[in-house]
Amino acid sequence: MKFLGFSALALLLLSVEEVLVKTFSFEVTRIDVGLAIVVYVATRGTTIEGALSAFSVGYLLDVFTSKPTGLYPFLAVLTFVLVRLVAQVVDGRSRASYGLLVAGATAGHAVLAMFFTWLTSSDEVHVLSLSGVPLQTFLTTAAGVALWPLFRKIEPGERPDPGVLS
Amino acid sequence: MFKFLSRFREPLIVGALLLVPLLTYLTKGHRGREPNTFDRLVLRLSSPVQGVLTWGLEGVAASAAGYVALRGAHEDAASCRSELAHKNEELNALNEAKAENARLKTMLGYVDGTHDQEIVARVIGLNPSSQYLSMRIDRGEDQGVRVGMPVVTPDGVVGQVVRAVGSSADVLLLTDPASRIGGVVQRSRVRGSVTGAGDGRKLALNLVRREDDLVDGDAIVTAGSDGVFPRGLLVGTAKSIARPAVGMFLTGVVVPAVDLSRLEEVLIIPVTMAAPVVPAKDGAR
Repeated sequence: MKFLGFSALALLLLSVEEVLVKTFSFEVTRIDVGLAIVVYVATRGTTIEGALSAFSVGYLLDVFTSKPTGLYPFLAVLTFVLVRLVAQVVDGRSRASYGLLVAGATAGHAVLAMFFTWLTSSDEVHVLSLSGVPLQTFLTTAAGVALWPLFRKIEPGERPDPGVLS
Repeated sequence: MFKFLSRFREPLIVGALLLVPLLTYLTKGHRGREPNTFDRLVLRLSSPVQGVLTWGLEGVAASAAGYVALRGAHEDAASCRSELAHKNEELNALNEAKAENARLKTMLGYVDGTHDQEIVARVIGLNPSSQYLSMRIDRGEDQGVRVGMPVVTPDGVVGQVVRAVGSSADVLLLTDPASRIGGVVQRSRVRGSVTGAGDGRKLALNLVRREDDLVDGDAIVTAGSDGVFPRGLLVGTAKSIARPAVGMFLTGVVVPAVDLSRLEEVLIIPVTMAAPVVPAKDGAR
């Protein structure tokens, strides 16, 4: 039940992130530590454990947003599948390549979140929330790389199965 | 059937984990859901951690700032004493005006819509998604905070409580695109609507007719017409006012009076509907 370990870690990291973002006086920039976990489980975990962990991280992020809509669990599992797909061609198991995958996933996740929010909203101003993405990508990548050893304590194994969903 | 399920177990589980939240999102759209038991448990677990972290970080910052602030403290104290003397004079004049105002209101039969004591809360975090600009405070339904209550500081409006759970609550900030406030120009009493621009820094000014009297630097205060905020609270200052060649309305932005990225404490006004109080019939004009 490694997904329980990742869920507990996500809960702690999201709580800390909320405080740090406030302490650093960020306006629309965030440190997407949950996404770092999703990318890690996509590159190293088994399909079921990884998908459950991604869903759980997304659910926690959804609850923390103050307006849970189901968007973030969906985006977390979608990111899990997309990273799994990319990992077919790029080996994301080393620390450096994992950092690159986190950077790509953070930027992609922000754009997808903005797109789906725009899709169900009459406002067009959500695009402005993307102004913080470059810094957010840098901070999330740095956090992901720094937390990598901790993630390895929970899931030390190599991904046993090839393929996206097998 | 069993063989099929067994063979495609993993794609089916992942597909379900994708589809269920997506359908929930697309059908319920932007409304969000009320916190369920599990949501409440998550929030109850996280808020003490955030409280302790905030306390620790602010303690460290205050200690560091204390050492730095000692430089030039003597000159600052002399300056403060002088400023305090001026302020006391102003306060005295304001008290006189307040007393006169109260007497005139009594004579006119006006019933003041005063509310209970504000609830003071400490900001313990900003939500981790940039799509919804909200913040977490350390007072919740246990302390009497309810959804819909306006949140302010002495400088002006901050936002509105959108979720209250246990001993924490979430406040939708003015700058969120979902935030809408009825505003009025303090100088000319022109009405308009103020919405969040989504970038965390400014607000958009809407529905002000192009022929209305509004210029850069005008103070925008709450109109009290939105059913949330009491009237007269400072929202911000008008900026970049322009009258386009075509269209009914002018365009412009409002710079919030409160720096929302540096908030530490806020006040929650314990009313959920700032409706005007109807005067008693015998005193009504």
